[in-house]
Amino acid sequence: MDIKNEKVGDFVVVRIDGRIDTTNYTEFEKIIAEVIDGGEKNLVLDCKNLNYISSSGLRVFLITQKRLMGAGGKLHLCTMQPSIKEIFDISGFSTIFKIYDSEAEALSN
Amino acid sequence: MELNINKSLASRIVFYVLVFCVALFLISLGAFYFFSKNQLEKMAYNNSQAVANQLVFKTEQVLLPITKIANNYQSIIEHSTLNADSIYAITRRIVANNSEIIGSAIAFEPNFFKQKGKYFSPYTYRENDTLKTIQLGNPNYEYFVMDWYQIPMRLGKAYWSEPYFDTGGGNALMTTYSVPFNAIVDGQVVPAGVITMDLELDWFTEIISEVKILESGYASVLSRNGTFITHPNKEWIMNESIFSVAEELNNPQLREIGRDMQQGKTAFVVSTLNGVDRIMYYTPLPSSNWMLAVLFPKSEMYLPLRTISIILIILIVVGLGVLSVSVERIVSEQLRPLSKFAKSAREVATGNFDAALPEITTDDEMKDLHDSFAHMQSDLKNYISNLKDTTSAKEKIESELRIAREIQMGMIPKIFPPFPNLSQIDLFAMLEPAKEVGGDLYDFFMIDDNHLCFAIGDVSGKGVPASLFMAVTRTLLRSVAPNQTSPAYIVDKLNQALSSGNDSNMFVTFFIGIINTDTGIVKYTNAGHNPPVWISAGGKVEFLPVTKDIPIGLFDDFQYQEREMVLKPKDKLYLYTDGVTEAENASETLYSEKKLINCLSIYLRSHPRELIQQVAMDVAVHVGDFPQSDDLTMLSIIYNGDKA
Repeated sequence: MDIKNEKVGDFVVVRIDGRIDTTNYTEFEKIIAEVIDGGEKNLVLDCKNLNYISSSGLRVFLITQKRLMGAGGKLHLCTMQPSIKEIFDISGFSTIFKIYDSEAEALSN
Repeated sequence: MELNINKSLASRIVFYVLVFCVALFLISLGAFYFFSKNQLEKMAYNNSQAVANQLVFKTEQVLLPITKIANNYQSIIEHSTLNADSIYAITRRIVANNSEIIGSAIAFEPNFFKQKGKYFSPYTYRENDTLKTIQLGNPNYEYFVMDWYQIPMRLGKAYWSEPYFDTGGGNALMTTYSVPFNAIVDGQVVPAGVITMDLELDWFTEIISEVKILESGYASVLSRNGTFITHPNKEWIMNESIFSVAEELNNPQLREIGRDMQQGKTAFVVSTLNGVDRIMYYTPLPSSNWMLAVLFPKSEMYLPLRTISIILIILIVVGLGVLSVSVERIVSEQLRPLSKFAKSAREVATGNFDAALPEITTDDEMKDLHDSFAHMQSDLKNYISNLKDTTSAKEKIESELRIAREIQMGMIPKIFPPFPNLSQIDLFAMLEPAKEVGGDLYDFFMIDDNHLCFAIGDVSGKGVPASLFMAVTRTLLRSVAPNQTSPAYIVDKLNQALSSGNDSNMFVTFFIGIINTDTGIVKYTNAGHNPPVWISAGGKVEFLPVTKDIPIGLFDDFQYQEREMVLKPKDKLYLYTDGVTEAENASETLYSEKKLINCLSIYLRSHPRELIQQVAMDVAVHVGDFPQSDDLTMLSIIYNGDKA
């Protein structure tokens, strides 16, 4: 897993490369927590290169969503691979998160 | 064994020391031999030269006085009025006054004294300690033609005769010194005759033969024509000359040497005589023009060296022997603690970390080794003690986890077939956690006589936290479900209970169905779980259509949907968690839903137990040696139809 942050306008775009599973979700959780602790309210999670996500990873997405909602911020997901989108669909998470097809869309909403 | 370590090390050191010493000694010996050889050669040369010079000196000491005496009488005769008869007295006086002279003649030219006739040569000689005087010349002995007379007369100067054996008295080797003298006749100076003095050469051969150079070196005197006057080989004396010997031995070098000697040269030469290299020094005897040679075998120059070398070698061999014994002793003594260290190390290896170490009193490498060893012992002791603590702590955790797993597994029903008296349905399920305890769950139980509740769930995450959450979910399910035939209601209640105060944000995906065993009608709710597979008796294998509801535990006010389907007789439902479809192999390929559907299609006629076992096997084949990453949970239910 490799994660890069980029500030674009009001959002911080977090680009996830690789997979989030039980072995590294805490690392992912820490990185996201640092961004939010830094005062950022609006996040875009770029899932273009996210190959796999386990339920532990979904939990981190969920925690992030709850924290940002509570702070009046936004969490937008974008450019998901079909296999990831399927997981979100099956688990019903597609109804919880705002998922966009492109980064531009995610940034403009 | 431990002695051998030291022994071999010590002997190796001894070996190296010996090799070094032997090399050193050989070089020293070589250098010593080389320089000594040169020195000995120089000494031998000097020595032979000194001997020769001494011989020359001694000879001259004898010969010179004779020449002086002869010269004196020459002067006397030349300056006195010659009276023929007084000449007898003169010869007597010469012999009487000079003990070394055994005979003396004063020979005159023929007819010098008219009154004495043609021959006049008074001669006095010793015979048995008395002197006899005679007149030598007569028609039978015409002395004018003898060498001793003729040569000095012709040359006009003194002359030593070639040595000869006295034919008259005994066999003594003799020589004669002849000096010509003049007289004034009719106012004219004319050669008048010769004064001779006979000399025995016994003394001479004696001092020459006394000479001994080195072992077998000797001196030899040769006459002008090369005849041996003295030589250790008596037979050669007066019989052989250097030239005849050269001829006999076919030795041109020797002939050359003879010629050089005749020319009065002084030189050192190396000559091979009778196969032996000999050093020869030759020099003339000045007053007689005889030639002196001293010679000795070359090899004898080095005799002292040989002796010294043998002594040296014996000393070295003995010295090296003593050296090796001492070195061996010293090294063994110094290394003795090593074998004790080796013994201690073996004891440590068997677990005795308090093994005694040898006492080291010296402050050297041995002391360092001792300190390092002691340090190692104490570190090992601490390490092992820590390891014991850690291991027992780990064992405790593992044992607790084992118990937790037993409790967890005890929560889910595991007796199959579960309802032997209920012919309408049968089911089978399995749960294989990835770690000791997992977050998956399944459950089934009768709500009332004709309603069976079955459920499957997957808690986010794994391990102890997930298993706790699973236990709570399972307990809540059992407390909410009684007398409820609406799955949506049950899930709502579960969700409300689990969402409140869920600070950890854990959630559980959950599928629950309630089947009416009389009708085959199934009411079900899916909370974010993988949709089950409907395997119809007609051969259709497809995912059950589900509502996309979120997992339990997220939002307490979420309203879950409920759906309904009808199972025909021999229809099956297959429920699973994502541990099946997301089982990974070494190349990170997932088992996938496609493969699952394929496998289920192959075994679509199988009983739930066989169906689940076949899927489990297919997943195992896919995963291979790769460690199981997620809990593997499956549940399958078959509807056999109404009991009628």
